[in-house]
Amino acid sequence: MLVEFELIQKAQQGDASAFSQIVLAYRRRILGTISRLIGRPEDVEDVSQEVFIRLYFSLGQLRTPEVFEPWLYRLTVNASYDYLRKGRRRMESRMADLSEQQVMMADAVAGSRAQNDEGEKRRVRDTVQELLSAVSEEDRILLTLKEVEGLSLKELEKIYHVNENALKVRLFRARQRVLKKMKEVTEPSPSSAKGNEAS
Amino acid sequence: MRQVEKSGIMMSNTPMEQGNSSEHRLDELFRAYRQACPDPEASVNFMPAIWAKIEAREGSTTWFRRVAKALVTVAVAASVILGLMVSPLVSSANHPSAFFNATFVDALQADQVAALEPLHIDRISGLEPH
Repeated sequence: MLVEFELIQKAQQGDASAFSQIVLAYRRRILGTISRLIGRPEDVEDVSQEVFIRLYFSLGQLRTPEVFEPWLYRLTVNASYDYLRKGRRRMESRMADLSEQQVMMADAVAGSRAQNDEGEKRRVRDTVQELLSAVSEEDRILLTLKEVEGLSLKELEKIYHVNENALKVRLFRARQRVLKKMKEVTEPSPSSAKGNEAS
Repeated sequence: MRQVEKSGIMMSNTPMEQGNSSEHRLDELFRAYRQACPDPEASVNFMPAIWAKIEAREGSTTWFRRVAKALVTVAVAASVILGLMVSPLVSSANHPSAFFNATFVDALQADQVAALEPLHIDRISGLEPH
């Protein structure tokens, strides 16, 4: 916990300064999580603000301060999901297959060592975003929380209020879809290979 | 049995090895993604914008609340007025006339009494042939 229970209780009673302190404590973490969930840096701040606004209006419903963090993650997941769902069309327009260059970069990143050059980071982001486009918004968020954010199954269970086995099944299926997509983009289809041979 | 190298990735021959290698590559890619997306710094305007949005929503919420309150008041008033208008009808329906309270036996008895009325002699004599 980044804040004391008393601070949460004060915020619940309408103390604006306590609420501001909570935002200050968590904003960096929430901004980071959202940036990895939605993959669009220009909208990260807006979605994060939406999370804290929802927190402000629903803080009174929180019964026990102990579950504050999973609850805040839940708000983050919901706000990110709403954003992704709204932007589905826009995302679909970007869902063209990975370019040859991106494939090579994905291989290079995965196989060799990632270099800290900004252009490469951007390409890694684009590649992962493209791979995650193979799954639904819900699965994309779940997979990112598990694989990128490093949340444990226990933590995910608290966020989603779903039992561990159901989460495991869902994560496995989502991962398989992403792997399939990765295979598609790294291994050219037989028809295109034949075409290349003919030319 | 890593044999073929392509674009910096070691390729495997058996399906199991290929599967493991894909899994490994995906894990590496997710790790690289985590590093490529560090926690960003919030802008200076972050907190003021949150408070501004909260105030705007509170404003719209109070407006809706006012409208809802007004609608509830009107609905309650209309219910009371309709209730007052309907209550005389209901009360009269609750106190029916003696006709509706009479039993079947009472009705039969009343009918027979009418049939057994005393004869009027003057009328009968008027009917006799002269």
